[in-house]
Amino acid sequence: MKVEEVVLPGVGRKYTITTRSGDRLVIVVHSSGKRELQYFEAGEGDEPTAALDLTDEEAREIGAILSGVLFHPEATGDVTARLAEHTIEWMKVEPGDRCVSRTVGECQEEAQLHAPQAHILAILRAGQALVPNPPPESRIEVGDTLILAGSRQGVNALKHELSH
Amino acid sequence: MHPSVLDFAFAAALLAAAAVVVHRCRFPALPAYLLVGLGVGTRLDVASLEPLPSLGLLLLLFSVGLEFGPDRLAALSGRVLRAGGWDALGLLPGLAAGLLLGLDFKAAVMLAGVLYVSSSAVIAKLIIDLRRAAEPESEVVLGVLVFEDLVIAVLLALVGSRGGPLALLASVGLVGAYLLAAHYFSPRLAAAMEALPDEPMLLLGAAFTAGTAMLFHAVGASEGIGAFLAGVIAAGMGLRERILGLFTPVRDLAVAFFFLTVGVGALALLADLQATAVWLALAALVGKLPLDYLAGAAAALGLRRRLLTALYLIPRGEFNLVLGALALREAQGLISQVAVLLVLITIPLGAVAIRFGPAWTAGLRPPPRRLPAAVAAAEGVAEASQLSR
Repeated sequence: MKVEEVVLPGVGRKYTITTRSGDRLVIVVHSSGKRELQYFEAGEGDEPTAALDLTDEEAREIGAILSGVLFHPEATGDVTARLAEHTIEWMKVEPGDRCVSRTVGECQEEAQLHAPQAHILAILRAGQALVPNPPPESRIEVGDTLILAGSRQGVNALKHELSH
Repeated sequence: MHPSVLDFAFAAALLAAAAVVVHRCRFPALPAYLLVGLGVGTRLDVASLEPLPSLGLLLLLFSVGLEFGPDRLAALSGRVLRAGGWDALGLLPGLAAGLLLGLDFKAAVMLAGVLYVSSSAVIAKLIIDLRRAAEPESEVVLGVLVFEDLVIAVLLALVGSRGGPLALLASVGLVGAYLLAAHYFSPRLAAAMEALPDEPMLLLGAAFTAGTAMLFHAVGASEGIGAFLAGVIAAGMGLRERILGLFTPVRDLAVAFFFLTVGVGALALLADLQATAVWLALAALVGKLPLDYLAGAAAALGLRRRLLTALYLIPRGEFNLVLGALALREAQGLISQVAVLLVLITIPLGAVAIRFGPAWTAGLRPPPRRLPAAVAAAEGVAEASQLSR
């Protein structure tokens, strides 16, 4: 697979993805959050075979499905059904979130009351290696991406605790 | 209630009606705002709409600085830079024409700028509205626009100052001081700004843009370059995405009013239209096409995409109006007429060209390169259908 990325000033970013089969997918991520998708079949010329517009939310949902983050219990057997009640979610730390410049330990402790079935699995910081199982004293900063894991309800409650 | 609210409501209703109509025809709204302005004329008291239209222009230039600033140059590929170089040759005929018409050097440079610069704000909006962002020529066009905006920003810093060499020095000095300050303080400020919630950020951005513009105006420089620079600095602090998200709706509202007042003002300005202005505007419109075709060639686009590149770069806009206002201040009526005339002609024309260009050039589309397997399958089907007959 080959991925090319170009900046489109005033519009956003364009990714051109050529898959192993020779098909091409052009994805434009607008600064407004809209996504434009065009699919070019291998060997066909200039015109896209299919085009699709997605909202930011739809694109994230589809992205999660493609990367296999969302499990669907009805599609799998008993063993994974238990797994299916668990989920992993990525949470971007925004300015004004409650967890900003506090340690993981403090946040976990507070959240323990409301969200006992979830925890912070890792911290993703731009330009740094992934911090798996972050030690309690590591400090959360604006722009970090927290990877949360646990039961679906627990993760939702934890997200709420961290951001409000 | 303040009486200007009535004018605001009237103007907003007209703009909304125009936007709804053109939206139904799947056509971009900017030219419609201009036409509404032309149609309403002096029946609308545009002075009472202030400061919204003036703010519209400043925010437009601010967002151009934010999106098309010099930091974007680094992200452009060599072929796009080559295209920008070809396109920049468009300055020379304007300069020559200005000198031949007996203008002084400063005015000739202004005229060259007016004939040369396309509107990144208008074109980017057309590309988004008409869903052309994924096409290869859009990448080249937007890159060329980064190049143009930089050229015109330098040009504005040089000729945009009122009066003598002292004002020029103040203008260039102020730009330098801003860039230097941004270089030293922005890393420290960036962290503080990032932690700021949305609302203070919006107000701070508005104050910074308008304040910078006013400061530039006060020292005799062009306020337009001030607003542009404010955008460049905000982008340098890494605030591009957030500010865009916050400012886009505000900007779009103010810009609609700005284009409305441009339409209204154009009537008075073009009342004593000189034939030379018409010829210059037409020459600029036509003369830029072959250069941009060559720019497309320099960017290694195919025949059809080269033609589309030339069509996409037709619309003139914000910088023409900045230069036109400057020219008017310097009593260069001809230049400001050319500037406004070009905006009036090229925005609707460019919108039509971008909307229908792909259909006009459909015949030039390269034939699909079929894979051997697909060809074999197609032939197989043909044989089968012959057998069944």
